[in-house]
Amino acid sequence: MNYSREELIQTDATMNQMRNAVYELARFMEKNGLTNLKEKLRKMGNNISRTFIRYWKPTDTVNLSNLKDVLTTIYQKILNSSVSIEIVEVENLVKVRDYKCALCKYQYDDVEIAGCEIILGMVSEIIKLINGDAEDLSSVLIEPLEVAESRAYGDKVCTQVYNYKTSERG
Amino acid sequence: MGVFQWLMKKITKVFGHSTNALFYTLLYREILKEINEITKKEEDSLVVLKEMGKRAGYESCERHSSVFKFMPGSPKKILEYFEILWVVVFGRELDDYSYEEIFKEDSKYNDYVLRISKCPLCAGYGQDIEDTFDFSKTKNKETEGLACGLCGMLESVANFILKIKRNDYRIQITEQTCIAKGGDSLQFICKIYDYNQWKKLVDSRAQEKMTIDAYFGDRLEEEIIQETKFDIIDKLQDVISIDKLEEYLDEPFETIKERVSDIIRDKLNMEPEHFFDYFRNYEDDMIRIIGYLGIHLLNEYGGLLERSLKNEWFAKVFGYIFKQVKEMVLLFIPLDVIRDYNDLLVNFLEGLAPVEMVDNIRHFTGRDTINLLFEGAKMALENLGIEFTELKENIWEELKKEREDGLLPSESTTVDKTRERVPHILNIIQEMLMIITDIFTLPIRVLISESHYGLKTAINSIISEEEGLYGSIKERFDSIFDQIEEIRK
Repeated sequence: MNYSREELIQTDATMNQMRNAVYELARFMEKNGLTNLKEKLRKMGNNISRTFIRYWKPTDTVNLSNLKDVLTTIYQKILNSSVSIEIVEVENLVKVRDYKCALCKYQYDDVEIAGCEIILGMVSEIIKLINGDAEDLSSVLIEPLEVAESRAYGDKVCTQVYNYKTSERG
Repeated sequence: MGVFQWLMKKITKVFGHSTNALFYTLLYREILKEINEITKKEEDSLVVLKEMGKRAGYESCERHSSVFKFMPGSPKKILEYFEILWVVVFGRELDDYSYEEIFKEDSKYNDYVLRISKCPLCAGYGQDIEDTFDFSKTKNKETEGLACGLCGMLESVANFILKIKRNDYRIQITEQTCIAKGGDSLQFICKIYDYNQWKKLVDSRAQEKMTIDAYFGDRLEEEIIQETKFDIIDKLQDVISIDKLEEYLDEPFETIKERVSDIIRDKLNMEPEHFFDYFRNYEDDMIRIIGYLGIHLLNEYGGLLERSLKNEWFAKVFGYIFKQVKEMVLLFIPLDVIRDYNDLLVNFLEGLAPVEMVDNIRHFTGRDTINLLFEGAKMALENLGIEFTELKENIWEELKKEREDGLLPSESTTVDKTRERVPHILNIIQEMLMIITDIFTLPIRVLISESHYGLKTAINSIISEEEGLYGSIKERFDSIFDQIEEIRK
């Protein structure tokens, strides 16, 4: 009897080679004429979320009051990352600084995309899927904006930026 | 399980960056799907995924090549250590597996079939609507399965070790059955070829070659450019490798002396007496150098120590442990026992070093020897980043100081995290102290075993390997690794 996906949730796997594989994929995509790498990587993140959430979700609803906690939990539980989160209300932005991003570690001369685009796609989709059924009017949605800093670009940390909006926002 | 196998697995697990295993598996799946969106042909996609696995594995090996210098250089040995390869590549234990050796006529090495009853990559594959890669579209029976990327990583790591150990054999690892394709287990076949056969094999796989050329353009560089400068690990790698480490534990004291003599003759091209003669009248410096080199030799193992000590907190904790160990040695270990250590060193040098030098060392007290060793080790640790002058009297004052200075963030979650970490740090210190206590009982056991049954006999002199000193130390290190993992979470 093989493992189930529920069982996999309980264990960890080392990312070293898999992280390298993400950049191999980026090279492969570029080599074969793809230009929308950012969208592709974010779509991969979306797909990961859609499967993942069937086996684990951090909460039943996400609103502005628990957004930081939910994001911290997602980053910790799925990516084993310690993050600091800043909500910039005037611009409706959420900035997540990840000091040990699971998908970025080295700068490559021949790759111009950060692996954490996948994380941007994954995290925003998880929030969307959680709040999809929520009746809470204060529930929040986040959308990927950009990877503002990345170790893959030579920065010391990865900073992933999301736009947010609440339901009552109309 | 051997000492080194166990250590490698622990170190890889603790110091590699891990994520949730389901995330890993789903990311792997998405990579395959993206490949397939480009190739539009399932068979080609699997070939591309395997090549990607090879390249990803190779990149990791290149980054950490010194780690692999300690691995055994024989293809058969590498396969025996498949469990380590699995942990290195996949980051999780290899559960429930079996080997079958298949005799191959006119060949130095047989083939090996490895059956693994549980495959994390295939776990639940097909149950979710996002599992869209369709294996039923692969018609060619030779096509590998979902684990082909992993297979590529394993093959790449195994062959990197053989190359770096200057071995002319290569290993081909092919996925024979796949659970996602309907098999009852994950099955790999490992075939060993000499270099010429390997080249022919690579050239003969025309279809695979065409696919790789079409999608990648370039080929993975198979050869390693050997460094012209040989470091200390290069000189010692033939003798310090996993399999030989096990042998050393089985060998008595005199054989170890013979081995050291051989190493000096073979690697340094001089007689042991001439080598040690360089240190005549500088015996105290020689002992300091032993302490100094001991630390640097530890660091040669992937630069792990140096990298760890770049973390200010780790450096401080390590510094306090070192200070405490130094104090404890003289506080708790009877001087008679320390003298025994000194006698052990004198016995070791007799026959290897000049008589005058051995006499000089004989006049050292045990306390002198220990102090000199610690002085050397301290110098090395200062080189590697520990600022001993900045350390407080003990770690408790350090913790107090940080809080008073407000250096630890006041945000509640961080404080909570710190509070969570303190017990783990305390546990690590406690376990380290217990290990040291255990280790320092070793010379007594060595002396008690009158017939010099050797190090391993002494270590395991209680009941069995697992229940003896080795078992006790291993258990404590297990606990330390667990605490480190908790801290890193």
